[in-house]
Amino acid sequence: MSTTISGKNLLQPMGLQCKDLYEYLKMRSPEMLNKLYNNPPICLAVYRELPEIARHYVMRLLFVEQPVPQAVIASWCSKLHVDVHLKVVQVMNELNIWKEASIPGGLPGWILNATFRKNLKIVLLGGGTSWTMSNQLETDSKPRDVAFLDSYALERWECVLHYMVGSQQQEGISADAVRILLHAGLMKRDEEDGSPVITQAGFQFLLLDTAAQVWYFILQYLDTVEARGLDLVECLTFLFQLNFSTLGKDYSTQGMMSGLLTFLQHLREFGLVYQRKRKAGRFYPTRLALNIATGQNKPLSRDLEKERYIVVETNYRVYAYTNSNLQVALIGLFCELLYRFPNLVVAILTRDSVRQALKSGITASQIVGYLNQHAHNKMIEAGPPTLPPTIVDQIKLWENERNRFIFSEGVLYSQFHSQTDFEVLRDHAVSLGVLIWQSERKRTMVVTKAGHDDVKKFWKRYSKGAN
Amino acid sequence: MVNVMKGILVECDEAMKQFLLHLDDTFALGRKFIIQDLDEKHLFISADILDILQTKVDDLMDQISFPLTEKGL
Amino acid sequence: MGPPKRFKKDTDRGKWKKRKEDHDPDYVNDEDYNENDAEGIPDAAKNDVEKQDEGALEDEFGAKDYRSQMILKTDNISRPLWVAPNGHIFLESFSPVYKHAHDFLIAISEPVCRPEHLHEYKLTAYSLYAAVSVGLQTHDIIEYLKRLSKTSIPDGIIEFIKLCTLSYGKVKLVLKHNKYFIESPFPEVLQKLLKDPVIQNCRLRKNIEDETKDKDGLITSVLNKNKAPQFGAKSLPIVNQPASGGAPTVSNDSATPNQTNIEEIAIPEDITTFYDKIDKEDEDEEEQQLKTVSFEVNQEKIEVIQKRCIELEHPLLAEYDFRNDSVNPDINIDLKPSTVLRPYQEKSLRKMFGNGRARSGVIVLPCGAGKSLVGVTACCTVRKRALVLCNSGVSVEQWKQQFKMWSTADDSMICRFTSEAKDKPMGCGILVTTYSMITHTQKRSWEAEQTMRWLQDQEWGIMVLDEVHTIPAKMFRRVLTLVQSHCKLGLTATLLREDDKIADLNFLIGPKLYEANWLELQKRGFIARVQCAEVWCPMTPEFYREYLGCKMTRKLLLYVMNPNKFRACQYLIRYHERRGDKTIVFSDNVFALKHYAIKMNKPYIYGPTSQSERIQILQNFKYNMKVNTIFVSKVADTSFDLPEANVLIQISSHGGSRRQEAQRLGRILRAKKGAIAEEYNAFFYTLVSQDTMEMNYSRRRQRFLVNQGYAYKVITKLAGMSDEPDMMYKTRDEQGQLLQQVLSANDTDADEEKIPGEGPRPMIRKAGNMASLSGADDAVYYEYKKSAASSTANKHPLFKKFRT
Repeated sequence: MSTTISGKNLLQPMGLQCKDLYEYLKMRSPEMLNKLYNNPPICLAVYRELPEIARHYVMRLLFVEQPVPQAVIASWCSKLHVDVHLKVVQVMNELNIWKEASIPGGLPGWILNATFRKNLKIVLLGGGTSWTMSNQLETDSKPRDVAFLDSYALERWECVLHYMVGSQQQEGISADAVRILLHAGLMKRDEEDGSPVITQAGFQFLLLDTAAQVWYFILQYLDTVEARGLDLVECLTFLFQLNFSTLGKDYSTQGMMSGLLTFLQHLREFGLVYQRKRKAGRFYPTRLALNIATGQNKPLSRDLEKERYIVVETNYRVYAYTNSNLQVALIGLFCELLYRFPNLVVAILTRDSVRQALKSGITASQIVGYLNQHAHNKMIEAGPPTLPPTIVDQIKLWENERNRFIFSEGVLYSQFHSQTDFEVLRDHAVSLGVLIWQSERKRTMVVTKAGHDDVKKFWKRYSKGAN
Repeated sequence: MVNVMKGILVECDEAMKQFLLHLDDTFALGRKFIIQDLDEKHLFISADILDILQTKVDDLMDQISFPLTEKGL
Repeated sequence: MGPPKRFKKDTDRGKWKKRKEDHDPDYVNDEDYNENDAEGIPDAAKNDVEKQDEGALEDEFGAKDYRSQMILKTDNISRPLWVAPNGHIFLESFSPVYKHAHDFLIAISEPVCRPEHLHEYKLTAYSLYAAVSVGLQTHDIIEYLKRLSKTSIPDGIIEFIKLCTLSYGKVKLVLKHNKYFIESPFPEVLQKLLKDPVIQNCRLRKNIEDETKDKDGLITSVLNKNKAPQFGAKSLPIVNQPASGGAPTVSNDSATPNQTNIEEIAIPEDITTFYDKIDKEDEDEEEQQLKTVSFEVNQEKIEVIQKRCIELEHPLLAEYDFRNDSVNPDINIDLKPSTVLRPYQEKSLRKMFGNGRARSGVIVLPCGAGKSLVGVTACCTVRKRALVLCNSGVSVEQWKQQFKMWSTADDSMICRFTSEAKDKPMGCGILVTTYSMITHTQKRSWEAEQTMRWLQDQEWGIMVLDEVHTIPAKMFRRVLTLVQSHCKLGLTATLLREDDKIADLNFLIGPKLYEANWLELQKRGFIARVQCAEVWCPMTPEFYREYLGCKMTRKLLLYVMNPNKFRACQYLIRYHERRGDKTIVFSDNVFALKHYAIKMNKPYIYGPTSQSERIQILQNFKYNMKVNTIFVSKVADTSFDLPEANVLIQISSHGGSRRQEAQRLGRILRAKKGAIAEEYNAFFYTLVSQDTMEMNYSRRRQRFLVNQGYAYKVITKLAGMSDEPDMMYKTRDEQGQLLQQVLSANDTDADEEKIPGEGPRPMIRKAGNMASLSGADDAVYYEYKKSAASSTANKHPLFKKFRT
């Protein structure tokens, strides 16, 4: 007997999908992509994010003005790695970096997207109009150094996070920012009094590292850009200009349209740029804005001591060297908190506290990941492994305990008159990809709820025909 | 002819299946809820029992677990 | 915009507490017995600092918020600890001043948990009582705690320390020249006591005029403190090397893991200077001359005065000035020149003999860490008649061996008094017997009667109480009523009782003098490095179906006999036999014990196994290359040493007993030679049937060891088991037959081993009877139901019938 199980488990919460730049762009229309490729910084960012092989292809094709046979391109990659080649082809198609063109003689070929080609050349070789932001400015009388910008950025960003956990430690955030949180599904309106409360996705968001949080948040923001009357291409272009700007340098706001100035104010609130005053005429990008698209930047030269603040013991104790309400709140997501001293929190991982987190949609690996990322230096010195393996195991076992059952909604077909009837219907269900259980001996099968209608229709047609 | 019923397919290990059979036999959820016993690891059950069933499973897990941790009290 | 509504955190807090209550009472507690007598506790000892933070605010995340009650010091990084208003203390083990703080905390508080990085201790009335009784002063305790703390100390804690220490430890009951004296360095305290009519009545006034007496008639004497004794061979310097080879060399009890690589973090000077002071006070007192006042008391009224002093908040500390005891003859016993003490053994003994007299108290060392050498050394130091009490016949033999191994005592000096061995007691220096021999109430043989009478007539110099926490307070009190001794040394591996009545013993014997850190001893190679594992064995569907449907008593048999557990056990035994290991398999359930052992063709020991057969099996296990695995019931928990074993498998155990778990681990803790290369040199497996109550018990049992820093690895699948040939109970058929056997077993089979004389579980047991002398009741887990009325739960019977 063989079974195939598909269909989501009804009781499992959905994970937070954090898209990278590629995932974001591939959802855009080819027209939109072409508009974006009019901007050199975007071409550069896209190029950098391509798989290594794809970057080679682009380089080889950059100065070839006519289509190249697909077979030739395929030959650039060893036959042993044909799967890598296919993946690259898919990415290049999805991002509209090249398009199919037939070569005289009828062979299929590929040619680079002309807009992309032109603007990538500009980035790499110069020429055209300057694509970087203007820094034709008089020297700032009160220049801001990197340390200042870092602490400013962190403070602004943590304001958002503090707001999410409902901590009273920090000032509030703007109504606009709240709208973004609501839109992003990180918070939702309470059913009773309409005030915003954190959601499952919000909890997972909190456990991401700062770079990933910023990128996720900005993507959500971009979704709302057009509703605000802003131009998405304009905003994205500016974002990627920031992406390639220099930390510690100030840039002029001259020549920015009013829409872009509004965008700048939003970025200012979240700490991606610093401005002394709204109308200062100059701004400083912060580390949060740099390399935003890679999601890999280790932003903010925060005090590492402060980042590495958690001690996890083999007896399930968790000690957090912190007085930050945000950090305490994060620990509180999956621990029971016992005592708070001026610079230490004593907490404990219990089955109940971890289950509570699991129920909120946080996964065991997110918990373990967070503990690992913030493990105290003494833990690192004593390692590897950094975390006690028994604790890591137990958190996973608590998660497994919730996965003892897989429930799938479905429809049971039984009591077939003949083996043939059964086999016909079963084979049809298999071909539709909706069969989730079957037994020839019992002449019984289960199909997904979604697949039921199609199977039913088929059965009606079939039984009529048979009769 | 063929008989068609809506419900929920349950996949689980053999011991847990015994647990569901036990709940069904003893009317622990107030009524029978297993529509068909499919094989060692599969059952087909009524859809509307899911919530109360999940509670019972949680109860079992609660019972056999014990807080390893002491709060030092 | 203002802050949003806080997310709702519907933690079911208190859920597990509730669960605990409506738990099946059969398995919950190891030993519970009601002591109805509340008298005999100093009021201060009833104070519970734990309750002092009931008013503490909770922060928005549900933690008790102490931030407003203390100020963080600017140099907090160089100080190692935090003190919570409820008496809990958190210590950084990686602090450069860890050693200073650790020595201090172990003296004034109880360790709660000591894993790798942060240790938790707890101040209690009893721990502070112990602190003052080894010579610490109120002021010093507070001052040093202040200096070690990263923050200011909460006022309530200072109050609590004062409350518990100001009157404790000030007055001693000293026996010298065979007269009893109440002695104190504080004349005002004695004056206060003497104003009490009861005490006046106990005072023994003699008419001899003495110049040393002052106007109150108190005897003033200048005590030239004796030099604290040297242990071990006198000429040898303190030896730094652990006795079993291979462990790294360490300097005398000052080696902490951190000291090797201090990155010159500035240690605040106030900490080091103060530490030196305390350290000196502890050990170099001999230079001081201490002025004390005393008065003599009537020997017949010792118990009255003890009781009265407790009521007056001045519990008497018992000390024995054995050097000035000229009435009791010395016995000719010394440690052998080859005998070497390990640093922690030496340290624990120094706590006992620190001021040249013998203090009564308890020394806590993990099993396998050499408790008996500590006992032997104590006897060799006092050099008066010594009485050793242990809890089985086999154990008596082993104590005798220990004396012969470490000391100059020979057969003629050591008298065994058990049901099987009755040496002639007259003229012996050391008598080794069991608790039940002393306390049992039925008629004895003429010979035993004679020995008993002789034993009661003696004034023992020292009484060594082995495995002191395995015996109930009642039995214990009876021992103290029957036998007189000048000082008492309790030895145990776990200061742990499921009923939390440790306090009783604290006051019956004396305070805890020393408690070793398991993890530290393991790191330094004094005890084996043990890999603890919990092996999850899925219930077969057939067994699980029966399990779900049957009554509680039958469930036990079903989860112990689970074929998957049997197979896991068989696989582990084979695996370790191939490695050349020696394996002991423990089963509390006799049905399972016999079935497993017979099926696998291994020898087994349980209650009915005769003494001679036991010894034969143990000898074979030790020396016979072909006998590498034995099965034992709980009779082996405490009663005999199995020094050759390095693998232990539990297939059935006693409910949630933390102590049994610790004792069983102790069976394999003796450091193994030549095994340093491996990460672990001993293995401790607990086999649990998945999805049954056994999982719950297993976790309960682990709590103590987990707090000592042990980590249990959960094994959900034994790699290689499915490929192993010739495994039993592989087919559904075989499993079905086994199920039939289990189902047809009678109810007594379904239960744990009933030890003769133990009686049905919920009943209060009468201590000892004739049948129990067979040696069958070696290890007894007293399990009594908690009375519904727990109003008496907090009452401690102290010093009750301390002496007749």
